[in-house]
Amino acid sequence: MNSIVDGGVAVALLLTVAAYSTAGGTDYGAGIWDLLAGRFQHADYVRALIDEAMAPVWEANNVWLAFAAVIAWTGLPLLFESVFLSLYPLFALALLGLILRGAFFAFRKAATTPDTRLAATRVFGIASLLAPFAFAAILGAIASGRVGPGSPVVPVWQACLDPLAISFGVVAVTATAFSGASFLVGDARRFIPPHAPGPDLVEYFRRRAVVAAIALLVVGTGALAVIGVESPAVFRGMTAGLGLPFAIVAVLATLAVAFLLWRRIYLWYRTLTVIAVGSFVFAWGLGQAPYVLPGRLTIEQAAGSPATELVLLVIAVVALVLVIPSLMLLYLLDQRSDLQSPE
Amino acid sequence: MTLLTLLASQPAALVPSREQMAFTLAYHIILVPFGVAFPLLTLLMEGIGLRRGDPVALRLARRWSVVMAVQFAVGAVTGTILSFEFGILWPRMMGRFGDVFGIGFAIEGIAFFLEAIFIGIYLYGWRRLPPKLHFGLGWVLPPTGVLGAFGVIIANSWMNTPTGFELGPNGRPMNVNVASAMFTPALGYEFWHLIVALYMTAGFMVASVYAVGWLKGRRDRYHRLGFTVPFTLGAVLAPIQFVVGDIATRAVFEAQPAKFAAMEVTWRTRSHNPEVLGGIMTGDGRVHFGPSIPSLDSLLASFSPSTVVRGLSTFPAADRPDLLDANFVHLAFDVMVGLGSVACLLTLWYALAWIRNRNLPRSNWFFRAAALAGIGSYVAIECGWVTTEVGRQPWIVYGLMRVGDAVNPVNPSFIWAMFTALLVAYAVIAFFFVSVLLRLSARWRLEDEGRRPPEARPEADAPYGPRERTEKKPAGAP
Repeated sequence: MNSIVDGGVAVALLLTVAAYSTAGGTDYGAGIWDLLAGRFQHADYVRALIDEAMAPVWEANNVWLAFAAVIAWTGLPLLFESVFLSLYPLFALALLGLILRGAFFAFRKAATTPDTRLAATRVFGIASLLAPFAFAAILGAIASGRVGPGSPVVPVWQACLDPLAISFGVVAVTATAFSGASFLVGDARRFIPPHAPGPDLVEYFRRRAVVAAIALLVVGTGALAVIGVESPAVFRGMTAGLGLPFAIVAVLATLAVAFLLWRRIYLWYRTLTVIAVGSFVFAWGLGQAPYVLPGRLTIEQAAGSPATELVLLVIAVVALVLVIPSLMLLYLLDQRSDLQSPE
Repeated sequence: MTLLTLLASQPAALVPSREQMAFTLAYHIILVPFGVAFPLLTLLMEGIGLRRGDPVALRLARRWSVVMAVQFAVGAVTGTILSFEFGILWPRMMGRFGDVFGIGFAIEGIAFFLEAIFIGIYLYGWRRLPPKLHFGLGWVLPPTGVLGAFGVIIANSWMNTPTGFELGPNGRPMNVNVASAMFTPALGYEFWHLIVALYMTAGFMVASVYAVGWLKGRRDRYHRLGFTVPFTLGAVLAPIQFVVGDIATRAVFEAQPAKFAAMEVTWRTRSHNPEVLGGIMTGDGRVHFGPSIPSLDSLLASFSPSTVVRGLSTFPAADRPDLLDANFVHLAFDVMVGLGSVACLLTLWYALAWIRNRNLPRSNWFFRAAALAGIGSYVAIECGWVTTEVGRQPWIVYGLMRVGDAVNPVNPSFIWAMFTALLVAYAVIAFFFVSVLLRLSARWRLEDEGRRPPEARPEADAPYGPRERTEKKPAGAP
């Protein structure tokens, strides 16, 4: 019974990480495309679209991150302590990226001169790259087996700069670029540029989404090879164990998005994008189960008191029951047009 | 001497870690009264607008909802930073006690998520829902704000009066009883003291904006409503807070005697303890510069001048706030109580004017004071927080874990570098936050003076706000 509850808490943690990777990742991806728009001819149009697409969900995605932290320290306190003791520089970098990104996104809207606007744009773009890289590097360092329970087992810089940490970071940046482009296709389809007629932004992001999908599969395969060299047990879990179904779904869904957008079939591509990114996270997470720190710490060893685990799991379920209908209501309102003016 | 040896035995990262935590918390607290209490003010205003069919009240409510969303977005960032600082700065505390006191944060997480979603619904709903349904759905917001504060206070009160578990042989907690770890002795008074403070502060702060407008001669219905509704809330709560704060202080006297001794700079245990107003305590336990009222502290602590108050000197030096912390706590406590007393006088003035004339006070001095009441409430909140947090030193978990044992034992220059980066980033956020509010206010004034066409959808610019929906597609799109 205890082990089921502990497992449930670990799955809840993995779900919040996956939710942040998809929802937050899409936002980071938009920031990356904002950076890559550079000073091209149509950069202003691209940025106007990105502004428009990101404004309504401004920083709301951070909620997932805070949830992940809370579930980790309440449900798996030993994991939380170990990861921060070994990898605190990566967390600091990720936070810096997160805060600069939010601040300069807002700042650029308020900027009055072209120079300050450009500077704000640069900081926003670079921060959008830094945050997902650092967050994913944390997961890669965990997968590498170099995070020990309690105090660090290798020097902190060594754990942070592990090849697997870097590989995960690269995969994450590519994945956010992929999901960002895929969702921007949808936003471009209903976007009215400020000075019509503008460039064809649907085409612009469609092409980029297809390229990013292929790139994601390439760097993903590369990262899997690094896992095979560095962390054979996790590799087995991802290619033969619990992680395998998710790895297969991740690859198929990515291919499907690339195919649909290549053929200009604008159906299901966003749902499949979410499934693809979420499945990558689950392929890794379930690949190293039952370990939270491969070879060193299992879920049960990291888990807190049984009473707390049960209450935490109940709270997680209650959260789902309350949050999902609320989100659906918000989504409905987003889809609905204005009523006749009440004033 | 003892101070120096104590400092030398502490991890080098302790000082910058404490400074960074203090700064980021103090900053986040600025946003809390609005996150928790502003929705109620907005809904009261919307309710007045709907009941009386008053377009001015509705316009105020609608504009307030924009400000609510802007500050909530900033609070979402600073709050996320805080949750990761628990890991970066205090990993040993979370690893050892996370499963005992973490549940409060989980509750806060749900509340925060719901509040974020329903702020979005509220903003969208101005145009897309029938008015009554919009008003009704808005009432989800005040309870979510209160529930979030409740969750955080569950965690903080546990740090002050930790219960709900047994210590195992290895110093790790075991047999956690979730209910008694949540409902610790300090929860009740900390919660009510905080909630009243948050509503009071939001009320006085919002009112102070319109008090300034009033002083500048904008004495129209818009400013009268914008002042009266929030100020009345603050004024009603000020005397209540005086009583709640008094109860809280007596509870601290019982549960955390070292904190109480620091609050009252009491060095030696004695009865007929005087109440010292201000002043600085030196190493020999003498207090300089502060006037004192004989026996008042003993009287306040337990209704009798013969009540014995335990002095700081009776605690081992390693278990009590040091001299610097004790003085800091004492002054912060006195400033908080002083400001609370001034707020009660303001309430009295407001009430007398109302009873005599059924109107706002006529004196400009009243509005000058009211214009400062918002800032004053903020100073009081920060002082109260200093009192409870610094007063708990050197403990992070009272009596069980010292701050120095919880800190991440890293190279202090790392923390200093991170702290510097955060200072810069937070300065940018503050600049942006203030400039957005000023721009909104300038735009609204132009609209009200007829120098600018009124914005049909003031909420469209807000974070979480609605976006345009049209069926038109850009040129070239399929």
